[in-house]
Order: sequence, then C-alpha cells, then structure tokens
Amino acid sequence: MERDVAIIGVGMTPWGRYPDPKQPAAFPDLTMPELAVEALKKAIKDAGISWRQVEAMVSGVYLWVSQQAGIHGTLSGTAIANLMGYTGIPIVSVANACATGQSILREAVLAVASGECDIAVAVAADKSAFGFFRPQSTDGRADIDYMRFVMCGETNPAYWAMECRRRMYEAGTTEEDLALVKVVTSKTAPYNPYARYRRTFTLEEVLKSPMVCDPLRLYEICATSDGAAAVVVAEYEKAKKICKKPVYINAVTVGTPTFGDPTVRLTYLSSNKRSGVPNLSESRNAVRKVYKMAGIGPDKVDVIELPDNSSWHYFAYLDCILNLDPGEPEKMLRKGETDPVSGKIPVCPSAGLGAFGEAVVAQGLAQVCELVWQLRGEAGERQVRKEIKYALAQTYGYAGNNAACILSKGW
Amino acid sequence: MAGEPSAKKEKKRVPLVEGLFTWPSNQPALIASRCKKCGAVAFPKAAYCPNPDCEKDPQNMEVIQLSRRGKLWSWTIQFYSPPPPFKMEPFKPYAIGMVDLPEGVRVLGMLTTTENIKCDMEVELTVGKLYEDGENEYITWMWKPVEK
Repeated sequence: MERDVAIIGVGMTPWGRYPDPKQPAAFPDLTMPELAVEALKKAIKDAGISWRQVEAMVSGVYLWVSQQAGIHGTLSGTAIANLMGYTGIPIVSVANACATGQSILREAVLAVASGECDIAVAVAADKSAFGFFRPQSTDGRADIDYMRFVMCGETNPAYWAMECRRRMYEAGTTEEDLALVKVVTSKTAPYNPYARYRRTFTLEEVLKSPMVCDPLRLYEICATSDGAAAVVVAEYEKAKKICKKPVYINAVTVGTPTFGDPTVRLTYLSSNKRSGVPNLSESRNAVRKVYKMAGIGPDKVDVIELPDNSSWHYFAYLDCILNLDPGEPEKMLRKGETDPVSGKIPVCPSAGLGAFGEAVVAQGLAQVCELVWQLRGEAGERQVRKEIKYALAQTYGYAGNNAACILSKGW
Repeated sequence: MAGEPSAKKEKKRVPLVEGLFTWPSNQPALIASRCKKCGAVAFPKAAYCPNPDCEKDPQNMEVIQLSRRGKLWSWTIQFYSPPPPFKMEPFKPYAIGMVDLPEGVRVLGMLTTTENIKCDMEVELTVGKLYEDGENEYITWMWKPVEK
C-alpha cells in the first residue's frame, strides 16, 4: 500500500437484543444509527481523538431492510453522521453481507493509504436478532433468492448442514467433533463482557440440544444478534504520535468466488463445476491475498478469529486459513491445539459467533476489536497465553462474499 | 360454499414459480441455459454465460433441459419451518439436497423422503406439493431416490 496504516481505536456495544425488556438499562431501545453511534463514540474515545478529527467514514449497510430500519438502514453512513453532527467528510455505505465489517475496514484503510486523508473510521450496526434469514423480495420472476427459498426451503443452517454432512462423509468428522467445537469455543464466553451468551457448554448438553438441520444441532449454530462496532484507523506515523499501542494493519482484503467453484452458494440454485477449482473459493481467495500482502504464510499466524456460524464453519475455515486437509482441524481440536487461550494456535478467544450470535454487518469489526485487545494485552481472562506476533481475522458472507485481515503490534 | 362440486374436483397442479421445470409433463426436467461456446450451464436460465472468459452475448446461450437423473452430493433435514415467503401446509420436516448432474452443474432441491438418504445415491427428478388452496395444488421440483 502507498502509506502504512494502523488501528488507533476500537469500540463495540454488548451483543444482544435492543431493546431487551428484561435488561432495559443494558439494552435500551436504540435504532440502528443510534446503536452505531454508541460504538463510534467508544472507538473515538479509545483513539483519544474527537469526531471533528475523523476525515472519512465507511458504514456497513444493513441487509434486512424490508423488515425494519427502512432507508436509514441502507443509507446508514449519512444517517449516523446526522446523529454525530455533519462535518462534511466523505462517507460511503457498503453492503457485503456478513463480510461487511472487514470490507468497510478495507475501504477506510484505502482512504488513508491512498493519501486522501489521515484518519478514517469504519462503523457498522445491525439489528438481526430474529430467526432464519429470508429473501427480501416477493418476486418469483426476478429474484433467484426468492425462487430458492420458496421452491427448496433452504435456510442458512440447511446449507451449512449439507456442507457438514459431506465433510463427515469424506473426512470422517464425527457428531462429537461438532459438539466439541461449542464446548471449546464457549470456554472464554463467561469472560467476554460483549458476548450475548456468557456461559460454557458441556458436550452432553450440546449433543442433547434439538436437531435443527441434521447433522447440526441448536447449540452448534449461531443465533442472530443486535450489535455495533467501530474501528478508527490512521496513517502509521501519525498513529504512533496519537497512541501508545497502534495496531499495524499488515493486510486487509475482500474475496469473491472463482468461476467453476462447485459450492452452491446461499441465495443461488446451482453452480458450475470445473476441475481444479476448490470449494469456498471466495474464502480461499481472501486468505491467499492477505498472506501475500503481509508477506507471511499460515505457519506465522499466532491467533485466529474465524466465522464459527456453525461447527462446520469452524473446521472449514481452519482448512482455508491454515491450508489444511479436511479432517486435520478436527484432530487439532481434539488435541486442544485450538484452545481459545492455551492452544498452539488459539482460535476465537472472543468466544466466537457461538457466544455472540451474529450481528451480520458488524461481526467482522467485532473480530477486529478482539484482535486489537489481544495484541495490546488488554483481553483479561481471555488473553491468549502465547506471545502474539500476527493475528488473523476472517469473516464469511453469504452469496460469495468474504473478507480477511492480518494485524500485528505497531509499537 | 361448502358442498359445492368444485371441492371434490381434482385440483390443478401448478408450479409455485413458473418456468423452472417443464410442466405439465410425466417426466419433468429442469429448464436451464447452456453456453454454446464453453458449455457452462446456468440454472435457472440466464441471459449471459457465467464464464468470465466468454463474451456476454445472449445469442450464445441456448435453452436446454437438464438430465433428470443425478448423484446426491449431500443432504440435510430441515426440522423447523422456515419463515414466509416459504409455505408448506401441513408443515413436516423435509429433506433438501444438492445433486450433481452430467451437464457439470450442481443443483439444489427438496427430496421426496426423509428416510434412507445417503450421499452419492442416484436420484431422479419429480414434483411434489408444497400447499394447496381452493383451486390449485402448488408444486415444486423434488429429487426422488432411484429404486435399486
């Protein structure tokens, strides 16, 4: 990149349901732009700057517009600026499904790296806390997603379950392996004040939880949550002057699929298979690119935040990130090598999407918040034991969207 | 209107979304398009070839019927009813699968059964009911295991 860029401030709201009538003080009735402001003011405070010093903003676009939020869910950037107070800066609103968080981090980084400005912010808020996702139109002629949903009844967990079953068939993943993912990732859940489900799970209770989409059980898939997160980035030399512990951004990118990938992606009805093209190519493309940008390989990664939307994702994303064959991540998990705190490669010290529930467009930034706290040594009981040089986060978005980043200490 | 003869009349079977499979037919087939240059297949029909190296010329795309038999790549059972606009009445858990067809395309679809399903088994295209109203039965395509 033209100029080096570092993270100078992060902030997020607790994940949950806004409003939550049972906890009105912690989870008040906030609109999506209001929720974004809560995260944004924390990130700005963490950076030790004022809103006036922010020179560009990129905002995540809420995807479930027809149910709530209306136009201010789509034109979220200017809706947030309206609440913060207009300062005339460039603002762009971006939708890349679940990969939105790190997609907007990329846009903020590019604004700084290009020299357009010295300080930029990425912010995203989401109010997704309700059941299965569904199509956003009522038009069976123009919307393949609508056709898919009404003709095949394919929910998101149904897609994950089909991938999972094939993995079990080919790589020998067991039901116990799937349950163990929840047991291991939930270890740090009681210690994350931002997580929605702050408790650990036993193997027995996971295996007894109801089957949602065979072979995936209720405790093996993530809920949907409300939440917001924000990340402030600055030109690296300036960042070093502003804060003591700037987190250097070695790489951030977005991945999309390769033609010939056999994966029938959510929202679609078919795929073309071409020999030599792997599945989940959007994810592999993003990861390959961030390694190239950072000039490192998988062996250098010290801590990972990955999208454990389901237990299948946990294994599939370890395949992608560490370049492993299916079956190898299962062995690592069984041996404790991916323990979120004490593992050889700690995975999801935040406790992951399993403990958060996914606040779709904000989730990628929540991962970045966790890695920043881990790198700064501020993660408390969740702090990974090993010394961290490189930290990697990846988010998986449906319909062919993916994003990833690699961070390291900039001090 | 109870007791009218129409209640007893056999209802018309109508695809819930038209144009996705040949109908009416004893041997329904999925309707797709194929690139005359590179052979890439799109289901449902598409105006342009999805191959990044092919010209985006609708003239290159021909409408074809996909093979009615394929191999079940994977499957699941959906135990809870999806929200609207999905509609199945009465709701009962159903299986969904992905099927590899000889044309080099993998296609989604419900299965006719939730019993004795296995990866790589042979399946054949048929149709099945989602729900009905006073006049019509609304159908979709479904994959049926081939009896050995």
